[in-house]
Amino acid sequence: MATYKAPLDDMRFVLNDVFEADKLWASMPATAEVTRDLADAILEEAGKMVEGVLLPLNRQGDEQGCTWNDGVVTTPEGFKDAYNTYREMGWTALSGNPAFGGQGMPKSLAVLFEEMIHATNTSFALYPLLSNGATLCLDAHATQEMKETYLPKMYSGEWAGTMCLTEPHCGTDLGIMRTKAVPNDDGSYNITGTKIFITGGEHDLTDNIIHLVLAKLPDAPAGSKGISLFLVPKFLLDDNQNPGERNGVQCGSIEHKMGIKGSATCVMNFDDARGWMVGEPNQGLAAMFTMMNYERISIGLQGVGLGDVSYQSAVEYAKDRLQGRAASGVQNASGPADPIIHHGDVRRMLLTMRALNEGARALAAYVGLQLDTAKFSEDAAARSAAEDRVALLTPVAKAFFSDRGLETCIIGQQVFGGHGYVREWGMEQFVRDARIAQIYEGTNGIQALDLAGRKVARNGGKSVQAFLADARGWVDANEGNAGIADVLPALRDALQLLDDLTADLLNNAGSDADAISASACEYLDVFGYVIYAWLWARMMATASDCTDYPHRDAKLLTGRFYFQRLLPKAHALAAQMRAGSEVMMAMDEAAF
Amino acid sequence: MAAYKAPVRDMRFVMHEVLNIEDHYKQLGVEDVDASMIDAFLEEGAKFSMNELDAIYRSGDEEGCTFDNGTVTTPKGFKEAYQKYVEGGWPSINGDVEYGGQGLPNSCGIAISEMTGTANWAWSMYPGLSHGAVATLEEHGTEEQKATYLPKLTSGEWTGTMCLTEPHCGSDLGQLKTKAEPQPDGTYKITGTKIWISAGEHDMADNIIHICLARLPGAPEGTKGISLFIVPKFFTDGNGSVGERNAVACGSIEHKMGIHGNATCVMNFDGATGYLIGPENKGLNCMFTFMNFARIGTAIQGVAHAERGFQAAMDFATERLAMRSLSGPKNPDGPADPVIVHPDVRRMIMTTKAFAEGGRAMIYYLAMQGDVVRQSKDEEAVKQADAMMALLTPIAKAFLTEVGVESAIHGIQVCGGSGFIREWGAEQNLRDAKISTIYEGTTGIQALDLLGRKILMSQGQALRVFTKVIHKFCEANADDEQLKPFVEKLGSLNKEWGDLTQAIGMKAMQNPEEVGGASVDYLMYSGYICLAFFWTQMVKTANEKLAAGTTEEAFYKSKIATADFYFKRLLPRTMAHKGAIEGGLECLMAIEQDHFMF
Repeated sequence: MATYKAPLDDMRFVLNDVFEADKLWASMPATAEVTRDLADAILEEAGKMVEGVLLPLNRQGDEQGCTWNDGVVTTPEGFKDAYNTYREMGWTALSGNPAFGGQGMPKSLAVLFEEMIHATNTSFALYPLLSNGATLCLDAHATQEMKETYLPKMYSGEWAGTMCLTEPHCGTDLGIMRTKAVPNDDGSYNITGTKIFITGGEHDLTDNIIHLVLAKLPDAPAGSKGISLFLVPKFLLDDNQNPGERNGVQCGSIEHKMGIKGSATCVMNFDDARGWMVGEPNQGLAAMFTMMNYERISIGLQGVGLGDVSYQSAVEYAKDRLQGRAASGVQNASGPADPIIHHGDVRRMLLTMRALNEGARALAAYVGLQLDTAKFSEDAAARSAAEDRVALLTPVAKAFFSDRGLETCIIGQQVFGGHGYVREWGMEQFVRDARIAQIYEGTNGIQALDLAGRKVARNGGKSVQAFLADARGWVDANEGNAGIADVLPALRDALQLLDDLTADLLNNAGSDADAISASACEYLDVFGYVIYAWLWARMMATASDCTDYPHRDAKLLTGRFYFQRLLPKAHALAAQMRAGSEVMMAMDEAAF
Repeated sequence: MAAYKAPVRDMRFVMHEVLNIEDHYKQLGVEDVDASMIDAFLEEGAKFSMNELDAIYRSGDEEGCTFDNGTVTTPKGFKEAYQKYVEGGWPSINGDVEYGGQGLPNSCGIAISEMTGTANWAWSMYPGLSHGAVATLEEHGTEEQKATYLPKLTSGEWTGTMCLTEPHCGSDLGQLKTKAEPQPDGTYKITGTKIWISAGEHDMADNIIHICLARLPGAPEGTKGISLFIVPKFFTDGNGSVGERNAVACGSIEHKMGIHGNATCVMNFDGATGYLIGPENKGLNCMFTFMNFARIGTAIQGVAHAERGFQAAMDFATERLAMRSLSGPKNPDGPADPVIVHPDVRRMIMTTKAFAEGGRAMIYYLAMQGDVVRQSKDEEAVKQADAMMALLTPIAKAFLTEVGVESAIHGIQVCGGSGFIREWGAEQNLRDAKISTIYEGTTGIQALDLLGRKILMSQGQALRVFTKVIHKFCEANADDEQLKPFVEKLGSLNKEWGDLTQAIGMKAMQNPEEVGGASVDYLMYSGYICLAFFWTQMVKTANEKLAAGTTEEAFYKSKIATADFYFKRLLPRTMAHKGAIEGGLECLMAIEQDHFMF
């Protein structure tokens, strides 16, 4: 069965000891009130809530799924009560703007919270997460009046939000979008078109749903430069700003999916629905993209959370299940066999999961801190450096977290043997739920292109060099640290590898139009393994100093495992990348 | 949903052009099988798989099996398709002529198994398990047992199962508890609970013959005290009619991630009458006939899911228009280019193609080795083929299913959001695939079998059986300029394989845990080299065909391009596995059990 305890010790270790987040928070007026104690208390409360409220609904939510009946969507039993508890405790407002009722908590804290809600009930988590995305977008681009009207109700969780981008014929390529927005005399617009794959497009959790919809104005330029953003409420507001008349937007059906069955994935039909423009005409895609960096890391965390619950469950099973005897001699003489955790190969699986999960948690916190700096710092240079780092690492985090997340869930399932395949045990659900994270919010192929093309090639590798300089600076500063002396050479090599591959990428990009796309995915993976190596070294350095840290030995050993058994993958990926694009493009389409 | 298209051209390429199966049959003394007969088989098998089985692929998944008071009902259409399969004579291809079989070599049936399996894996498991039961009875049954059970099992009117796993033991069968008590009439009363019995109960056949492991009273502990029994669902009069019900019943069926159309049963044996197969306490040895059969069957499953992932991806990638090619529009009249023009999409599709086609060659090669073991009169050849199968079976089972799962994941990814939606079938392919790395011995168990039992226990002799073949191939083709890039790489990896094995062997002598620490990485490493060997052979054939002049230039060139991709973009993964093995054991075992979680 699924076992989960919020990994509070590790979260605190990362936040407080490795990154000393409270120092950064204290240095910025917007976050000055967030102390270590407050952060600890929030994490502790979050842990109780996810374990007590969300986890118990996870299996049954999967079995039951959402149901659709004539435009009405019913979420699985218990979701509505859980949602009410969740919002009454204030979790929907956690990182909202305080000017409109949000709590203004930093992203570096929110990422840890998001990991927990994904771990315990990723279907449920998507409803508030989508609302978060919508509020971020409104906060950045809507008029003051719109913000005053919508944000407080969305932060309180009384209303939910969605993002409506995809249409039947276009997802990745939004330039060929068809949904139309026709202006009315009163300044509003009539929106008509069909959107698909809309997460939380319709449900029974809230009194209203605020759709953020991409559509084209009449005479808009073709392609992605002719797209505008509109706010389309499910219920139009009456004179007292309460939900009144139903707007012309309906859920046509819900998808039958592989996983996240408790999350309603909707076809939304807009039939002259009234909407109001958010931001400037034809600038909709840019407006939508402001929240992408926040959203993408949150979706990456789906992989991390599921990877962790899968890990914790696998450890319990491996300690419990008696099969075979340890190769080095009997470990459980009074039992009929030894617990499988004594077998080398089972340990390989468990440590792989753990090393990837903890590396991911550290990277999430790191990117969270950069997001906080970019948003709240008063130092313009620090802000701009942090923005650059966020832009560089967001695609890495989204894709690497979700790819490794699926990998981790598959390993967890494997540890359970046949039980892993049987639904009651819960392990196969994690695999099914994790699979979507590689696809939505921009497939991982798109993330890799974003990284290699836009974030690396377009600025001549400047952002990567800035990152490498930081990492190498850290290595130099820790040269004499005996606790990590054995892994520093491998870390130096890994950083050099990333440097070399970046140079290759830049060289090839000039001469071969397909070069970037052909090697982007491997490049992103190498980046992921290298940055985990740096973060593992940092965690090991911190742990070796924290002599009173109860998990010190485990941290050091897992880090060593990472360097010895997982980091070699970066070198294999490099060899694949160096093979170039010709091997993929040579074949004629018909010959496939 | 992408309809399954049986890759008949590729099957003919592997069987006739690469592996020269006709010559192989001549050498075995099988006179009546020629290329045209094989081609006819392939055509008919393709039709059956595409028309009858693919049609119930999605509906079988949605509907699943249902259980009601001991009775299992298979999804709509399963029974009818099975009847047609039986009427078509498909179950009996490899069966012994004496019992109504067609007596053809195993390799004649392998492509049929692949096609039925790819079209509908859940369905194909019902006949698949019967094949294993037939092989076990042929090899270990008494004349009377054979006469009683083989005719109906061979014709497919009855089906078979293998009953090993119990609630507390799967990988570790030494803990088995099911009891067999001898009766005065020479039969046994079998009592115990078996779980995860595929096709343990269903409505497709008149009788089900369970091949069941149990313990005699006073039997030695552990795996040396296990015997094997036949337990029929219905008693039979020896002439093929079924009579009274035996005391074996299905207690429930599992709710699973995938293969919903296949009934995974809890089977309760409550003093059921059973008949001993083979000697007392040698049951596990006899069962290994079945298990080896099933392991190769599961290796086919890896190829099936790679092929299905490939086809789903291709279908979507050629239809779906998104973005323009970076090297200029390829579909200037449309709003965007088909996604297959994008290199990253190609990377995913070519990965599935390289695994499906490379895996196919490996499986068919393995099936031919099986022919030799079963039918050759040349003792030395039998010994050699037997050793080859012992080495390659765990690699094929674990490696091909692992890359089958990977391919299914790519198949979904290429389809984007649609890949996650059930109607499209791509996600079913992954759900169905995931069991293949678990059952019939998990990947971890196969890896221990390969490295521990097969290779290190024979001081590396088991590996040399195959590395010698590769070495000879490389030597024989050393002067082939066109083949050189492949041969050189293959040759150097082949040598590295031996060296790495030796290094692990040295460490394992110091510490037996080394085997478990290295085993899965070692197996995957080995799998990549095996596929490199088969891909090199395929390139050689393609080169020859192109040099000789052909109307199918595109086909052969695509073989070479796929091999090139495999060598440059997939084969480097051996570096990561080698690196992980060299990372050693200490980092695995040092951590305290209680420090795994906090």
